[in-house]
Amino acid sequence: MDPRRPELKSAVPGGRRPLWPLPVIAFLAVALLGADSWWRPSNSDEGYPSRTLQPEVEPEPVLLPPPPIDDEYFPCSDCHEDQLADPERRELDEHDGIELAHGDLWCLDCHQSDQRDLLHLSDASPVQMEESWRLCTRCHAKKIPDWRAGVHGKRTGYWRGPKEYRTCVVCHDPHSPLFKPLEPMPPPVSAGELRVSNRAKEEEVRHAEE
Amino acid sequence: MPKSERKARSTSRRQFLKATGAGVGALAGLPGAAKAFDLEAYFQAHFRELSQDELQDVLRRLERKYSQKYGRPVTVDAIGPIDGVLFGYGLDISRCIGCRRCVYACVAENNQSRDPQIHWIRVLEFDHRDVIRRIDFEDGDPFYDREEVPAEGKVYLPVACQQCENPECVKACPTTATWMEPDGIVVIDYNWCIGCRYCMAACPYGARHFNWTEPEIPADELNPNTHYLGNVPRQDGVVEKCSFCIQRTRNGRYPACVEACPVGARKFGNLLDPDSEIRYLMEHKRTFVLKAELDTKPKFFYFYG
Repeated sequence: MDPRRPELKSAVPGGRRPLWPLPVIAFLAVALLGADSWWRPSNSDEGYPSRTLQPEVEPEPVLLPPPPIDDEYFPCSDCHEDQLADPERRELDEHDGIELAHGDLWCLDCHQSDQRDLLHLSDASPVQMEESWRLCTRCHAKKIPDWRAGVHGKRTGYWRGPKEYRTCVVCHDPHSPLFKPLEPMPPPVSAGELRVSNRAKEEEVRHAEE
Repeated sequence: MPKSERKARSTSRRQFLKATGAGVGALAGLPGAAKAFDLEAYFQAHFRELSQDELQDVLRRLERKYSQKYGRPVTVDAIGPIDGVLFGYGLDISRCIGCRRCVYACVAENNQSRDPQIHWIRVLEFDHRDVIRRIDFEDGDPFYDREEVPAEGKVYLPVACQQCENPECVKACPTTATWMEPDGIVVIDYNWCIGCRYCMAACPYGARHFNWTEPEIPADELNPNTHYLGNVPRQDGVVEKCSFCIQRTRNGRYPACVEACPVGARKFGNLLDPDSEIRYLMEHKRTFVLKAELDTKPKFFYFYG
């Protein structure tokens, strides 16, 4: 029962409302509200199909290799093979190419004293040079979640697809990990200078047309 | 009126106008052949109203035009948005050193004019005392010229298009030549841009740039992989801006600025993917957007890493 009918009835007291418009109204309501696609322009643009990509398979992350170590110093065993390590902290004249600015650390805090080509953790277990991040994260463990998420450190490749990761030593020099200042690229041309050069160019074009 | 019929009528009207235009052009003898008038470009429909066939015609025409102009093969693509993707950007303001590598990577990738110079990214240098309470663009200096960056006591804020979810530029455009795509990128149909620059006045970030003269790009520096709504070479008298490297990101790649940043300050990803970098940094870091009080809802988030 249409709830509006009693109201309609009272609007025309005495007389009887004709019933014939009801099926017409019902048909129009169905046509307009139910099957509306014939009059409303469709949202999907014909010339511009949207794409769905296949569900992403977690791609193997690509670990970029660290830059090669300066062969003036590496492998360390070239010089240190037969030397006994002196555990005393001191200035090293032979290593004046290495700027040591990493907290309060000194060589043997990271380098093995008996196997010179290796590093070591605080419990003296050896670490390969290629896996130096295992040593870094002993102090800088707080960086691991950020790095894994791709928020600490540089990522290249695909936001959806294989990503290239870098371990610590790719960007940070382990001996002085702070970023070195860079020479900036040239500043932009100011709007005033641009206006002058634009006007010159327009004049040129005008001359060429004449 | 059914869509197909509407389209058929508008096509025939276009063809009629084309024919008329060609006739008038022939009568007038078209002086100034140096600046050839492209009838097909003049009567081109709006990008979103092009049928699949018309779109292909437009892309092939542009490919022919630019391949000829630059003397090397140029591809013009119009690859569409991906379902379930809304792009977002993160910039670690505590790491940026102001080296401007991103600016020039963007110029090379997106075919900005070299002369007159157009840069989509502008790096502002602030005195760190000026940004403690708020960031006011007036305090920023984009023209800093130094031997080395970062300079003592300075902080850097690169600004490009903020890809607003509530874009003022789109509302200002009188010809609907700029709009927001389903993946959140605000794009420009350079063919429909009439160069009124209302969008530039409306943009609170100074992100839009105008081609005052014919843009110049050396042929050997042109990036030949282009997208119709992004880095396709522009013409005189149109507005352009960052498109989140639409030609790269819609193919799953990172934008050029992300890959150029030497300190890894730039992050990019899908805001709808809970495992993406951008979602991680929004959930774990302190983030802010520029001029939040304007309610433009940028999808470009600055954060402290």
